[in-house]
Amino acid sequence: MSRGQHVSFRSKDDLDLDAEVDFIVVGSGAGGATAAVTLARGGARVALVEAGAWRDPEHYPHSVYGGMRDLMDDWGAQVTMGRALWPIVQARTMGGTTVINSAICVRTPDDIFDKWSEEHGISGLKRPMRAAQDRIERELSVEEVPLASLGRSNLHAIRGAEKLGFRESHVMRRYVKGCVGSGQCLQGCRERKKQSTNVTYVPETLELGGLIVSSARVDRVTFEGRRATGVTGRFVHPRTRVEGTKFRIRAKKAVIVAASATWSPILLMRSGVRMQSLGKYFRAHPGTGVFGVYDEPVDMNVGATQGWASTGFRHEPGLKLETLAIPFELVASRFSGGGTELMKRIQDFRHVAMWCHAVRAESTGTVSDSFFGKPQVSYTLDRADMERFRKGMLLVAQQHVAAGAKAVLPGISGMPFKLMANEIGKLEDAPLDPRAYIAILSHLFGGCVMGKDPKTSVVDGLGRVHGYEGLVVADASVIPTNLGVNPQHTIMSLAATFSAALL
Amino acid sequence: MLALVRAAIVLLYPRTPELPGAEDCDLDAFLTKYRDETTPLVWAGVVLGAIVFHLTPVLTVKVPLPAFFLPPKLADRHAHEISSTDSYMLRQAIFLVKLVAGLAWGSHPDVRKHFALAPLATDPDDWRTE
Repeated sequence: MSRGQHVSFRSKDDLDLDAEVDFIVVGSGAGGATAAVTLARGGARVALVEAGAWRDPEHYPHSVYGGMRDLMDDWGAQVTMGRALWPIVQARTMGGTTVINSAICVRTPDDIFDKWSEEHGISGLKRPMRAAQDRIERELSVEEVPLASLGRSNLHAIRGAEKLGFRESHVMRRYVKGCVGSGQCLQGCRERKKQSTNVTYVPETLELGGLIVSSARVDRVTFEGRRATGVTGRFVHPRTRVEGTKFRIRAKKAVIVAASATWSPILLMRSGVRMQSLGKYFRAHPGTGVFGVYDEPVDMNVGATQGWASTGFRHEPGLKLETLAIPFELVASRFSGGGTELMKRIQDFRHVAMWCHAVRAESTGTVSDSFFGKPQVSYTLDRADMERFRKGMLLVAQQHVAAGAKAVLPGISGMPFKLMANEIGKLEDAPLDPRAYIAILSHLFGGCVMGKDPKTSVVDGLGRVHGYEGLVVADASVIPTNLGVNPQHTIMSLAATFSAALL
Repeated sequence: MLALVRAAIVLLYPRTPELPGAEDCDLDAFLTKYRDETTPLVWAGVVLGAIVFHLTPVLTVKVPLPAFFLPPKLADRHAHEISSTDSYMLRQAIFLVKLVAGLAWGSHPDVRKHFALAPLATDPDDWRTE
């Protein structure tokens, strides 16, 4: 029996939830769950409030349809507003995006700490974050993808990278214990191998006496003067989206907002926090995939969804390369064309492998509240970033050809559907218009960025909102730079550091 | 509206000698479920995409008829050309319809069998309540 309590959806016929704790954490993803468990281990009474439902692996959907319905924020329909409409991938479920990502674990690069110090006046984080990363890696059983679980797509990628001499080519390290290569990372690991926070830190928080509140949308942080005193909100049915009863939770010590790079700034805005930099300096890793077509079947959905990466292009030209086997249902729409021509193209499915690049983009955007009650992200890549983007297309295509692909499918509007191996040089002249590409934003940063100067930042080096008491932000929204690596480890260690400082 | 969306999807993912088409994949039941479960905004986008699909043969095959009135060969050509059009907004509108169609078609056991993919079990649609 756990010592804590889990409260799920309550209809309007039920009594309002009213509680008092030491700390409230809003959001249960990489940042929120890490903050909650750190505080609970320190002996504090914690309430963890999550807008999505608490699903265990046996509740995860099998289909992409179910994944969009049950795990994604707003059916995955959020897109950037800018020159191109690129989807923003975020979850809405207990565990946040850790449930639907590939659980890739990369330590914060040293140069990032230097940059935070030089450009944002933030120092002193490296030591505690490194210690937290050591601990998190042990707790979440971080290991390399086992050879037997890599599958042919990842093995081809390793071969291609070796032939081209790609620097820092490696089998991924992930928060996955004994991966069996079921290829279901993006729909949630039903095999219980992925150590997402809904199966690790959230249950531990509950065990330590925490109050876990799910299917509960936080509407406001409440204040007395400049001191955060709690949160109010409503339960929302995970299926019907019907609103339930209200909840009010009071915090004796602090409210920690960890609702994501898009929702955290919005929650602060709706709560009356007015700051020049709130919602500014949004950044991301926009990326896309290139399919390679091989003579022999690849069956890319057999094996780890993502198993290989190279961080060797992080500085120049500013890219991250990795494998990514998207589910079949999405491949069907990702191939260009329609009618019998599309059906002909899909016939190649068993022979294709999808690898992708993500740009360490310098372009910045903004997050604001929209008419539809959702965050609106205004974001467009500038020319320099689009040149990096195009370079990424070419690198991935070259890697496919080096691995033995007879052709590539770049998926660029205005270019041929298929480029034979000897034609991939045409990608050097691919358009620089973002509208020509089907891309996504997978890693999001900023909106409540860290910094010493309250005019150009929202929080200080311990996540405390400038000018307020008892209000902390502990998620990707505080990251003021583009990392160029998968951010989960950085987010978790930042949250661990910020929350430890509150004890 | 369902009929409009259905007609667009059937033309985008037609039955071929090698593969089942969307019409072979319990499409009506899927679309009814999708309409009922997704957000009104997403469904409105899908309907808009279907309307764009049906009203644009004049741009692709130069025939001023809605797509559902076109003879099969011309409708097939329209389905391909409107999906690959240079106009970004039109392409995006069709992409949304293709995405939904892909969810129906790609999860059907007959289609998956063709690609050596295991059939998908029913989604549990459940969560922790205590």
